[in-house]
Amino acid sequence: MSPMWGSVEQYEMVHWSWAIAIYLFLAGLSSGSIIVALLVKWNRHERSNSSIWDAMIKAGAVVAPTAIFLGLLLLVVDLGRPLSFYWLLIRYNITSVMSLGVLFLLIYTPIVMVFMLLVFERSVIKHPFLTPLESLIALVKSFHSYAKIIEYFLFGAALCIGSYTGFLLSALYAIPLWNSPLLPIVFLTSSLSSGVAVNILIGLLFFKSTINTESIKYLLVLDTRVILTELPLLGLFFIGLFYAGGDAPNAAKMALTQGFWAGIFWLGVIGVGLGLPLLTVIIALRSHVYRVGYVVINSMVVILGVLMLRYYIIYAGQIYLG
Amino acid sequence: MQKQYRLLYDENLCIGCQACSVACRMENSVPDNVYRVQVHMKTLGVFPNLGMQYERHSCVMCENPPCVSVCPTNASFQSKDGLVHIDEKSCISCKYCILACPYHARFINPLKNVVEKCTFCYETRVSKELLPACVSTCPTDALSFGDMRQKESLVHQKSHKEVLVFPKAHLGTKPKVAFIPNRKGIKS
Amino acid sequence: MVYLQARRDFLKIATTGVSASVLIPGSLGALGNVALKGEDKFIRSVCEMCSSRCPMEARVVNGKTVLIQGNSFAKEMGTSLCAKGVAGASQLYDSQRLVTPLIRAGKRGENKWREASWDEALSLISTKLSALKERYGARSVIFSAKTGEQYDLLRSFASAFGSPNVFSHWSSCPIAIESAFAHTFGEKLHRDFENSRYILNFGHNLFEGLDIPLTKAMAHFSANPSKKLVVCDPRFSIIASKADEWHPIKAGSDLAFILSLLHVWIRDGKYDKRFVDEYTIGFDQLSDAIKEATPQWQQTLTGIDAKVVERIAAEMYAAAPRCIIDWGHKATTTKAEFQRTRAILIANILMGNVEKEGGIFFAKTAERINTLACEKVVPELSDPYPRPRINEPRIDGAGEEGAHRFVSRSHGVLQAIPDAILAQKPYEIKGWFLTRHNPLVTVAHPQKMKEAMEQLEFIVVNDVYLSDTAMMADVVLPEATYLERDEGISKNAFKTPTYTMRNRIVQPINQTKSLIEIIRDLAERMGFGSHYAWKTIAELRAFQAKGDAELLQTLLMRGVASFDVPPLLALCASSVERFCERYPRSHVSKDAQGLFSHMLRSLKTPSGKIEIFSAEIEKAFKGYGVPRAVDMDVMQGHPYVLTSGKSAVHTNGHTQNIPYLSMLLSTNPIWMHPVTAKEHGLKMGDTFYLQNAISKEKATVFITEGIRPDTLFAYMGFGRDAPELKRTHGKGTNPSKLLSLESATLCGAMITNVGVNIVKA
Repeated sequence: MSPMWGSVEQYEMVHWSWAIAIYLFLAGLSSGSIIVALLVKWNRHERSNSSIWDAMIKAGAVVAPTAIFLGLLLLVVDLGRPLSFYWLLIRYNITSVMSLGVLFLLIYTPIVMVFMLLVFERSVIKHPFLTPLESLIALVKSFHSYAKIIEYFLFGAALCIGSYTGFLLSALYAIPLWNSPLLPIVFLTSSLSSGVAVNILIGLLFFKSTINTESIKYLLVLDTRVILTELPLLGLFFIGLFYAGGDAPNAAKMALTQGFWAGIFWLGVIGVGLGLPLLTVIIALRSHVYRVGYVVINSMVVILGVLMLRYYIIYAGQIYLG
Repeated sequence: MQKQYRLLYDENLCIGCQACSVACRMENSVPDNVYRVQVHMKTLGVFPNLGMQYERHSCVMCENPPCVSVCPTNASFQSKDGLVHIDEKSCISCKYCILACPYHARFINPLKNVVEKCTFCYETRVSKELLPACVSTCPTDALSFGDMRQKESLVHQKSHKEVLVFPKAHLGTKPKVAFIPNRKGIKS
Repeated sequence: MVYLQARRDFLKIATTGVSASVLIPGSLGALGNVALKGEDKFIRSVCEMCSSRCPMEARVVNGKTVLIQGNSFAKEMGTSLCAKGVAGASQLYDSQRLVTPLIRAGKRGENKWREASWDEALSLISTKLSALKERYGARSVIFSAKTGEQYDLLRSFASAFGSPNVFSHWSSCPIAIESAFAHTFGEKLHRDFENSRYILNFGHNLFEGLDIPLTKAMAHFSANPSKKLVVCDPRFSIIASKADEWHPIKAGSDLAFILSLLHVWIRDGKYDKRFVDEYTIGFDQLSDAIKEATPQWQQTLTGIDAKVVERIAAEMYAAAPRCIIDWGHKATTTKAEFQRTRAILIANILMGNVEKEGGIFFAKTAERINTLACEKVVPELSDPYPRPRINEPRIDGAGEEGAHRFVSRSHGVLQAIPDAILAQKPYEIKGWFLTRHNPLVTVAHPQKMKEAMEQLEFIVVNDVYLSDTAMMADVVLPEATYLERDEGISKNAFKTPTYTMRNRIVQPINQTKSLIEIIRDLAERMGFGSHYAWKTIAELRAFQAKGDAELLQTLLMRGVASFDVPPLLALCASSVERFCERYPRSHVSKDAQGLFSHMLRSLKTPSGKIEIFSAEIEKAFKGYGVPRAVDMDVMQGHPYVLTSGKSAVHTNGHTQNIPYLSMLLSTNPIWMHPVTAKEHGLKMGDTFYLQNAISKEKATVFITEGIRPDTLFAYMGFGRDAPELKRTHGKGTNPSKLLSLESATLCGAMITNVGVNIVKA
């Protein structure tokens, strides 16, 4: 029958677009970055060359709050009614992952700010133009005794942020590509890998004093470990979809083989985001060439891959409904 | 007494004429080019062994509505009559509910920038014991609406006489809209 | 204030940019903000979004919109109404609708206009028409409209003016059916779908050409598992999809199928012999004519297996008399349309279903009921539109010796107009007054019609939009839409007599007028106002009702008046008994079997009986006295046949620009079978050309399994040449442009099945 029922555009629209994809990336980046920073902080040995580790902690303390703020801004601006965003803060629905996310963000954001101030205590005191913040520093110093507890809270909140974005999507059983219990784990792992990468990148570029080949080798291996966790997870994710019922197998098949987004997945997420760093590391390790440049490019490529994964999941999920 | 509304869509009587779509548009001032209800038709089979599938697309008023459980501000809520409504005031247009709806029943009203969907014409009709616009306008009586708790109601009688299919029943949404499937022609 | 703001928003949304519609001269958009006056309670009236004219009711809500639904005082309606009916307000408020008279300012068809007052426009019309009458005779002016109250009104005006050249739309629509009925039964009959058990349908698509009471009855019929619907149509239409059996019959070959059914029934003696003997003449001639029309023979023409014919013949006979062979309303026609319809009527006759439950029946008019009951049960109406016969030959030769001998002088042959004007034969033709008529869209070969119109001196078009035909006018009058009109009383007689009346729902926007007001004014200006016994619509109604205040009150309040007359079927004993109980004086008319058989013995046919064979036809058209296999080739040497039809959301050429309907369907891609598409290397949505000797038209492909490989289909009413219909102008294909002006034999019907080639772009 030839169509005489009018436009079907409203059924085919992509409702969550670039702003949401970037938000998910930034939330993951923020949480991953702070988790890595905290892990490094808790596990570093005083004796070892501390410059790179310090740099990674400092990177986390800067990236995490910045990323989450940018993300929140994007979220509000992307709303159909941005000026009504305050309703999110006064009404809560515990069955809504988005509402839970708002709660987590309300806890996470101030704590990560506090962490930033704690880490940069000395810098704040040193630079005169930051003196207005002195009263705040005084306040922060009073937190000093609670630093460890704050850090544990922060770690917990970051885990929530890192995984809630996955649950946000997986809670929707109307979207077969998202409705997998593995999605939160994929997102969390991917967040951690972006956290490692960004901390290395920012740390190397802005906060290092010295760096040695041993550290570089270690960082490249760290990168590899994360990638080698992500690849099988993505594989399991899709295999899970193929064995799920309903529209999932068809949606997964189309998402992996059809159109622009399939290309983004294979070339962007797998090729550039995971394959390329892996290749770089193997070559570097084999030929024992440890250059800072490799590490910097590697990190950027990993971050790009994580961003593309978010983009892919968001768009492919809404387009390939089986 | 709490109501147990049901809307029956008889694919055998439906002729896809879109009278329901236009009646809804007039009754609810639906903006141009978006639809609260649409009837789609699909020719099935290979010539000359053919069938025509008729399908009503609109909110099915789930008893377990995923759009309500995902709404962060409770703008999407369920009344005690079991109907799902939208509070325009607190809708921030985050579109989570649009994605959550397995029936693709929700859309953004481009004039008001809030989410909109079929309301069973609650405010203007059902709350006044009248039938929704689509039901009363249908030229072939393909739609019936009523309270299942009233044994003399048309929906009660039809529900006991006909085969009913609840759309996407496997998802556990328990829709209030049920289809009476086509008996003629090729069916898949 | 709220209303005005809402109107502005509405106008903004409804148009393709406010500025675009403001530029349309005479349009509602050009007026700016307009206040709407109407009442927030239901007023009952009659729809005119198509000519089914279903009783409806409407109320104005918040001064913003008109909510419309079926008028449940008409029980067969309930509150049902179709998409077009409900979209009435979308037409009412369409900023592209005309609300000011226009007078041509440039060349004809140039689309240059100046706005004028009603007085100026009507004055100009009366002056020009009088001048044409003076110079060339009244017969030099043609008058055309779609049938209905406005056509009766127009004919009365033409009569008073003195012109015999009145044309209804019949030749482009039901003329074959009307003609076949006239020659067979003397008048038209109706179908009792509700009580029937078996219906054989030849493309009567009640689900896309809606008439609410009939559509509703057919929907319930087809959904009923104990009843059977068989549909023969080259296309898998909506009604085909509801059938128990769909046979993709070759376009144009219905006649062969029906003749073979007749053959089987007669061969096996399986028909109502008693009915045929008692009430008909000409059976022997029929028996002779169908001797060779075997099921095997028809298979070669229709593509339907011979066994199917045998089986359907048997099933139908078993269901008789509760069976109907449906003659349709207007399916796509062939040259053999008269014979096809006659064959269908005869099939019904053989099944003996006349005046029986589940069969076909005569209209139970007020006059008929009153005569039978021997009392004034139902008020009878006066005719407010006197139309004395003009004793002059018409330009199409209707009613004269020749091809159009049997075409009614009251309806004519539209296809004859272009040639008559271009050749100025049989005499000079200089003017044309059109209302509720768009021949440049709905009549064959509009290219030639347009050429002919260029030759005219004065053209008046009365329309709601600046349509394709209105573009050619000298004066365009903006008629008030049906929601803004009070009109007279209409008769509807099926199983019982009822009357309906159109009542205004909304005050006319910008003081637009109804045709009644226009014609009455013109008559006054041209000096024959005394032709009418009334001046205003109130007087018109009072005149029609013969002063019956109760009737008028009922019609004003309810829009419909029925008289609790029990439905009557003359050959159904229980029905007759019930009638006689109610009206005891009618007992005398009963025959020995307790039936009103006399009703079928004094028909308006030459013999007074049902004529299976018509001697007068045979005399004038040899071989046509009884249905025979003729004129079934629609391809005419082309590989494909283009058929056309209606869509549930549009009416012919009327609604394509209405916002809410245009939103649903805005163009007409051509239905094509995948095999055919592949042969021409065409994919879904590709552009191609339909070509034949008449024209080469651009089209778009819609690939579907739902059509015969040798057939193409287009929804009609698209492919418009009307730049002020901004939502539809230029979209789609106009199938009329490929049709020739040839008429079907004897009845004068337009032939709408046409052979075409597919040509790649």
